[in-house]
Parts: sequence; C-alpha cells; structure tokens
Amino acid sequence: MNIEISHVSKFFAKKEVLKDISLQAREGEILCLLGPSGAGKTTLIRLVTGGLRPDSGEIRIGGQKFPNRDTIKKIGFMPQDDAVYSDLSGLDNLLFFGRLFGLSGKELRRSTEDALHWVDLEKDSTKLVSRYSGGMKKRLSLAITLLHNPSILLLDEPTVGIDPVLRKSIWDRFENLRLSGKTIVVSTHVMDEAVRCQRAALLYEGCLIENDTTENLLLKTRSGSLEELFFTAHKRGEGL
Amino acid sequence: MKGLVIRILRQMGNDRRTLALMIVAPILILSLLYLLLGEGSYIPRIAVSENFPAALMTELQKQDVEVTILPNDGNTVTGTDTNTIHDALLKEKSTDAVVSAASDGIHIRMLEAGNSKTASVTNALKNAAASVSPSSSMSLSYVYGRGDSTAFNSLGFVLLGVLSFFFVFIISGISFVRERETGTLERLMATPIRRISVVGGYTFGFGILSAVQSVLMVLYSRYVLGMEFEGSVWLAILIMVLLAFTAVSIGAFVSIFANNEFQVMQFIPLVVVPQMFFSGLITIDTLPYGLGNLSYFMPIYYGCAGLEKVLIKGFGIEEVWKDICMLLVFIFVFFVLNVLALKKYRKL
Repeated sequence: MNIEISHVSKFFAKKEVLKDISLQAREGEILCLLGPSGAGKTTLIRLVTGGLRPDSGEIRIGGQKFPNRDTIKKIGFMPQDDAVYSDLSGLDNLLFFGRLFGLSGKELRRSTEDALHWVDLEKDSTKLVSRYSGGMKKRLSLAITLLHNPSILLLDEPTVGIDPVLRKSIWDRFENLRLSGKTIVVSTHVMDEAVRCQRAALLYEGCLIENDTTENLLLKTRSGSLEELFFTAHKRGEGL
Repeated sequence: MKGLVIRILRQMGNDRRTLALMIVAPILILSLLYLLLGEGSYIPRIAVSENFPAALMTELQKQDVEVTILPNDGNTVTGTDTNTIHDALLKEKSTDAVVSAASDGIHIRMLEAGNSKTASVTNALKNAAASVSPSSSMSLSYVYGRGDSTAFNSLGFVLLGVLSFFFVFIISGISFVRERETGTLERLMATPIRRISVVGGYTFGFGILSAVQSVLMVLYSRYVLGMEFEGSVWLAILIMVLLAFTAVSIGAFVSIFANNEFQVMQFIPLVVVPQMFFSGLITIDTLPYGLGNLSYFMPIYYGCAGLEKVLIKGFGIEEVWKDICMLLVFIFVFFVLNVLALKKYRKL
C-alpha cells in the first residue's frame, strides 16, 4: 500500500509546523524522515496515524482517503516514547493491543508468540514491564507495532537509546519486512540510518527541503554525508 | 471494550498497593471513625458552687457525672473575683463546667463553645432538673432514627458515600492521566478501537473494582462494626456503585485538565471537598444565601441523600429512584464529555 501525502499543512496555535508537504511512501521501500528535533517529523507521522488531521491538503493510503477505520487496522504505529503499560507483563501488553486489533483465540496466541520471538523477548514475557531495561521496552514496543501484521509501519525514532548491536539487528529486521512488501516510514535524526533506506525526506523547520532516493541525495553532497544538506538549508535560511 | 476491562483489572492485580488503597484504606477509615464517633463513655466533671440548691444537687449526683463542690469564698456573690477563679479552674482543665445558682437561674460556664462535652453537661443538668420537677421534663423522639444512636450510626451514610466517591475518583483520574503521559493513549487511539469503547472500558473496569469496594464497605460496616441499617443492604450497595461510576467518569474528565498525577491531586479540594459539605454533614435546609441549591449539581449529594433514605429512614426504591436517576444523568453526561474529549486524539 502506498501512502500519498499531498499539499499537507498543519498549524499548532497559529504556528505552521508543517508547510505544504507533498510526499510519497511506496510499498517495498523504507522512507526515512530526517531532520533535527522540532522539524515536524513526529507531527507528520501523527497525521498518517490518524491522530491528527491536516489543516489543508489530504492523505491517501492505498488510494483511499485517510483516516478511515479499515485503513487504521493495516497500520502499525510505534510512538517515540515507549508507550507500554509498565504495570503489566510484556505478554499482557501484547494481548491487550492484539485484542484491540480484533485478534482472539489461537490467532492472538500465535501472533503474540511470533512477535515475542521476533524481538527476542520470549524469556521475559511474563515479567512486569516496570522491570524491563530501556532496550527491552523498546523491543516490546516494536513487537506491539508488528503484532497484527500491518502492511504499513510508522516508526517514530525506533532506535533512540538502543545500543549499536541491537540497532543493527533491528535494522536488519526492517530490511526483511521491506522485502516482504511492507511500506515503512522511519523517522530519525541519526544520519547514518538514512543510508539503509531507499528514500529520504529531509524536513527542516516544517518545510520539506529534499525528497529523493538516498542514492541521488548522496550524489548532491560533496562530503557524502546527508548532514551537509541541512547546513546548506540553514545557510539559505540565514541569507533570507 | 472487553480487552480494556481485562487490562484494567490485570493492572490493578499487579499493583498491590493501589489495590490495598481501594480495599484496606476505606475499611481502616471506617474502623477508626467507628472508634472515634462510637458509643461515648466520657463522664463529664461538673463543679458546682456551694449555694447550689440541695434537691438539684442530689439529683445531679445520680447522673453519670463527677460532681465537685466549690468552696464559696464569701467575699462577693457575683463579683469578678469568683469568675476569675472559675475560669482558672476551667483553663487548667480540672473541671469541664462550673455551675452556679443565682436569682435569675442557673449559670453554666464552660471552656469552649461547640465542644462535645457541652452536650453531656447540659444533658446531665436537664435530666437532674427534670427529676426535681417532673412536670418540666421534656422527652425528645424522632420520626427517623433514635436519639441515642451514636454519631457513627447517624453519619455512617456520609462516610460510605464520600469514601466510595473519593478513592475511585483519585484512582481513575490518575490512571487516565498516566495513560496520556506515557503515550499509551495515543497508541490506543491509533488502533481501530472506538472512542466510546475506550470510555466504556474505563468506566466498567473501574466500576467493577468500585463495586467490590462498595460491597466490602457496606458488609464491613453492617456486620463487623454493627452499623444499624433500616433499609435494604442491596439498595445501598446499588447507590454506592452508581456513585462510584460517576466518580470514575468525573475522575477521567478532570484528568483532561491535568498534565500529571500531582495536578490530579490538586482537583481534590476543588471537586471532592465542596461536595463533602453537601453530603449530609451539614443540614442543607439551614444553609444561607440559597447555597443549598448548589447541592443539585453534586453527585455526592444525591448518593448520600439516597443512602440516608435507605439506611436511616428505611425507604425502598419508590423513594430513592429520583436520586438514582440523577446519578445516572451524571454518569451519562460525563461519559459523553469524555468521549468528546478523546477527539483530541482521533477525530474518527
């Protein structure tokens, strides 16, 4: 399923946090939203989860105008903060969100087992989340996102605070998901992660400053680092 | 919705302390108040002046009081000196009341106004006076309740109502605000769940807990503390559960205006304390400036009024259905408001 964002603007208390954004995320590709904090990455993702409505413009998912309840079922959303219940066990967290997506009985049990296996939390599934480490919570949050086998994954800074080894294994898994035909949108401010994505959209102060394949974007830079593109944008902004 | 109810009960099961707060704390408070307001065995100490009428004196000594006779210093009868001596006696707490007889009647002097000792002293004197001249005896009787029921008995309904509202209000408010704070609410609203099911799940999840709490509180005060119930225990439980349901909805509603747990606590003096004044602690008919009308906006008023009718007056459903309906109105109104408030998280 493709995500088409066309001419979307969003205001918070008269401040325009997203300015006329047009962007596409394609099936079988990882789209990376890059930008410093406050650039509007989270707002853009929340527009695609249905949590916010654009003030102008529209979002289509799989050709259908969004939000609608059928499409919401096909989205897996991983918020920036862990957003798990710390007074429940990992397993109970999964069971709860599984039920919300309409899973039950054998299907629910199988999906939770798969998700726990995927993030390597099988051993600790009955422990209370309050006793989890930061990385474990992150992995649980990821498991919840994948539980109902969504076609679209919206991941808001999924690897913040995760050690390099785990980060690599998570990105390897994103790659597998992509190859199985999912549409993946990842926000990050770690430039290195962008090279693992097929496309990158660079957000700066609510504006989309670049939107192209990662390959093409890298060609535009002299140093071979995407950061350079932000420095250019910053200079341009000062010049105005 | 079922999933939400299961989750809330699981969370409570894992959080032993909160569970204990809901179950143990009300029982502890009820027991404490039972001891504080229960049968008083206090014997007031009365000092009488020497010129006190002998007949009255004899009768007074027959009452449950400790009588001492003050030596008359003879200098003056009503002079300031005597009064100073009397006041000194009261201040050093060697007696609770100084009683002296004068041409214009009996004078009673006590340390403070509005003290529970006042009633026991005046009762003793009234009874003594009645024994001396039986024709002036007064006997008081009531349509509802008995004169000799303890304060715990006659105010028990207030305790049951206020406690069942208070704890559920705090717990639902905090748990809802926590859901906002940790981002789980946002995640919840990114699932296909309907807004009405979120509020419904919350109301029923905490409703079940508060029902357990109410049953325990009623049974404990009835069978362990021996509170006198005139009417049906089940009707009382029904009213308490409905009151707790309004507490869940109001708690969740208030949490919209709170950014963290501490700010939920700040709503206690705003939401809970004023309602306590209208719970039956103060007789509403006697309130000045038409303030009594405020009670019509307070769920605790309806809950406690209903409980009073059932527990003290022994009324049945035909007399309390109006209070029950008003509680249902509160539940409905705040339910709708909460569903609307969730629009902030998803318009759908």
